Amino acid sequence: MQRKIIEFANLLRKSGLRVSVAEAIDAFQALEELSIDDREVFRDALRASLVKRGDDVPTYDQLFDLYWSGFHDNLKGAFEAAAGALADDGIDMEQLLQKIREMLESGQVPEGEVDLSDLARALLTGDLSELEQMIRAAATQAGVARIENMLQIGFFGRRTLEAMNAEGATRELRDLAARLRAVGMGDAEAEAIGRLAERFFEALRQSVRSFMERELQTRNFEYMEKFRREALFEKSFYSLTEDEIARMREVVNRLAQRIKNVMSIRRRRRKKGKLDLHTMLRRNMARGGMPFELVFKEKRKDRPKLVILCDVSSSVANVSRFMLQFVYSLQECFTKIRSFVFVAELGEVTQVFHDHEVGKAIEEALEGGGVINVYTRSNFGMAFHTFWRDFLSAVDAKTTVLVLGDARNNYNDPKAWCLRDLHNKAKNVIWLNPESPSAWGFGDSVMDKYLPYTTLAEECRNLRQLSRIVDKLVL
Amino acid sequence: MFESVEMVQKQLEEQGYICDKRIATVVFLANRLEKPVLVEGPAGVGKTELAKVVAAATGRPLIRLQCYEGLDEAKALYEWEYSKQLLYTQILKEKIGEVMQGTGSLREAAARVGQQDSVFFSEQFIVPRPLMHAITTDEPCALLIDEVDKSDPEFEAFLLEVLSDFQVTVPEIGTFAAKHRPLVFLTSNDAREMSDALKRRCLHLWIDYPDEAAELRILQAKVPGMDQKLAADLVAMMQRLRQLDLKKTPSIAETIDWARALLALNAESLGEQAVRDTMSVILKYEADIRKAQQELSRMMTARAAVTPAAVPTPSAPAATGTPPAPVAPPKKGTLH
Ligand SMILES: Nc1ncnc2c1ncn2[C@@H]1O[C@H](COP(=O)(O)OP(=O)(O)OP(=O)(O)O)[C@@H](O)[C@H]1O
Ligand SMILES: [Mg+2]
Repeated sequence: MQRKIIEFANLLRKSGLRVSVAEAIDAFQALEELSIDDREVFRDALRASLVKRGDDVPTYDQLFDLYWSGFHDNLKGAFEAAAGALADDGIDMEQLLQKIREMLESGQVPEGEVDLSDLARALLTGDLSELEQMIRAAATQAGVARIENMLQIGFFGRRTLEAMNAEGATRELRDLAARLRAVGMGDAEAEAIGRLAERFFEALRQSVRSFMERELQTRNFEYMEKFRREALFEKSFYSLTEDEIARMREVVNRLAQRIKNVMSIRRRRRKKGKLDLHTMLRRNMARGGMPFELVFKEKRKDRPKLVILCDVSSSVANVSRFMLQFVYSLQECFTKIRSFVFVAELGEVTQVFHDHEVGKAIEEALEGGGVINVYTRSNFGMAFHTFWRDFLSAVDAKTTVLVLGDARNNYNDPKAWCLRDLHNKAKNVIWLNPESPSAWGFGDSVMDKYLPYTTLAEECRNLRQLSRIVDKLVL
Repeated sequence: MFESVEMVQKQLEEQGYICDKRIATVVFLANRLEKPVLVEGPAGVGKTELAKVVAAATGRPLIRLQCYEGLDEAKALYEWEYSKQLLYTQILKEKIGEVMQGTGSLREAAARVGQQDSVFFSEQFIVPRPLMHAITTDEPCALLIDEVDKSDPEFEAFLLEVLSDFQVTVPEIGTFAAKHRPLVFLTSNDAREMSDALKRRCLHLWIDYPDEAAELRILQAKVPGMDQKLAADLVAMMQRLRQLDLKKTPSIAETIDWARALLALNAESLGEQAVRDTMSVILKYEADIRKAQQELSRMMTARAAVTPAAVPTPSAPAATGTPPAPVAPPKKGTLH
């Protein structure tokens, strides 16, 4: 069992869950306290010790089914089928096995003459758990880890049977029949043992085959999961399916969480200011200057103010989407956030975020938030000009301005001077562009015109880049 | 000590806590393995309550540490009673003559003062806080560390130490080790993700909103006087509301409050008026209330469309046919 749990923990790990050795040991201890016949309890006990994040539960459930529920049942099925086939031939398998065991135990066969292998013994005692262990071990020995496709099932299956010496065990059983006949077993029964050996071999073959099939499934699953997780980070924002958007949203939340943790550690460290002697003396005056009450200086936190200008035209919508999600998940890291959306017209959507929960607000903002028309062609010049005219007063020396857009201006006037004025007033102007710098300034891109008025301009085409930028922004 | 998972379920139910096998399994293991449990889940699904009822069911006193931003070791473990110490120095100052009486050398005098010093940092000047209590108490106790996600990561690191060996060292006095391992519950609303290190030391339990049947049982346990049909309608409505995209999803606590409010108003059914009057009990945001009311109207119209045909059929097993009587006596018996 211990080995199985370690193996299962490995499997979880390969699929991207974090499972430590200590937790695998916990799982093992947990199972010692419970009857593991109750599948539900078994599953919950393992989960409580191995899986510590809500997000990971679906993966766990799938892998649990794949790993635990299946194979034992397969094995049982195969041996029940063997019993059934024997019954068709008029042989009662249980009775026969009983008889063999009795004769062996009674010592009628001289000691040393029956030197049965572990496999043969397990077959004779019908010890399915033992058989399961043997098949697992043999499969590992046969290199099942390298199995990649259906066509290899036969090959690895044969090697597994060889590794556990299934044929040898069959032969042993036949030999045993001869020996038992020599000490008085009836011909019919001895012959039945021959049949039994055949059926057992067949059952083993079947079981090994289903083991291979499961193995392949698990492999694929692991691979897919890992791939999906990693790919998500590199995946370009330009082409996302609904499902990927949902998954990315989760990832963004988790990243935001991580940043918050780091932030709060930093803040605490900073808050531990020095003793404030002046205030302390004053406050303790009443007690004759005895410092009953200690007073510490509180350090001022310099959280940035943030103004976000989001291009919500379809080419950039996803960058804006995830950036907004980031920023609003990190709300408490900023003194104030104001958000604006634009395509050609520009409008403020800060209120939308007050009225709705973040996910909903973002979707609304991407639709223009009821303040702008999104079904036009991008015009950065016009958008910046509107901002310059109506909202420049929102920007001061503590404000970081974040622009999300591809700067593809459809050959309109870029009005870069608006951004220049903005840059002069603000603390920082950070521009995130989903296009690679090599494309900046070519075709209708006017990124080169805006570049001089940014503190930082970065390519931001996937989650990895985005999260790196957010790190820079808040830390 | 619980005998089995089923016994956990039963004993918690006797304390008025309805739980599924999943919760019971984790409680059982926590008790057996003496491991802390990290309970996570949305607000108001009974995380805190779970700790309380487990304490009650095992006959352990409950010691509670409520976490908040800025909670530090001093507030959680122990504090030196600073003002008492100051007072003591004052007294010492006055008595210094007495103390010094008969001291010949400077060295001797210093030693005398030194003796006073060790009294200065002794247990009598310590104000124990919940964690210290849990460690020094003589009988086995249950320790609830509530809303641990609200505490700072720094505090979490400190908790980690305490949870791994249940002993604390006060440098001036020595080490206190727990006589019995407390049964520890940590609850979290996921305001932030707890560190892997903490999670590794705990069994993990995720409590979600209950399904309809479970919620109905909870309601019946908590508000026993309620008409069954009304309770069922109310729970159905809550389940629907949770499907909506609300700013704050109502929890079990709200279900119970709502039921009590309706009971107080003598409402006999979940009519539009009654709901409108009590909606503010379950929903806190204006926008949410608006959404919920729309959903409610939709539900009502849907039901109105169905009822004429459905009136005689749904209560078929209880074929006595008592639809409008809210004080049906046999109902109480069926609650358990
Ligand atoms: N399974 C249950 N059986 C009986 N009562 C329950 C159950 N779950 C929750 N309750 C009731 O719901 C109310 C809220 O529970 P509790 O305060 O424990 O929630 P919580 O998860 O700790 O919430 P928060 O995260 O806000 O602290 C309590 O009054 C409790 O009695
Ligand atoms: Mg609580």
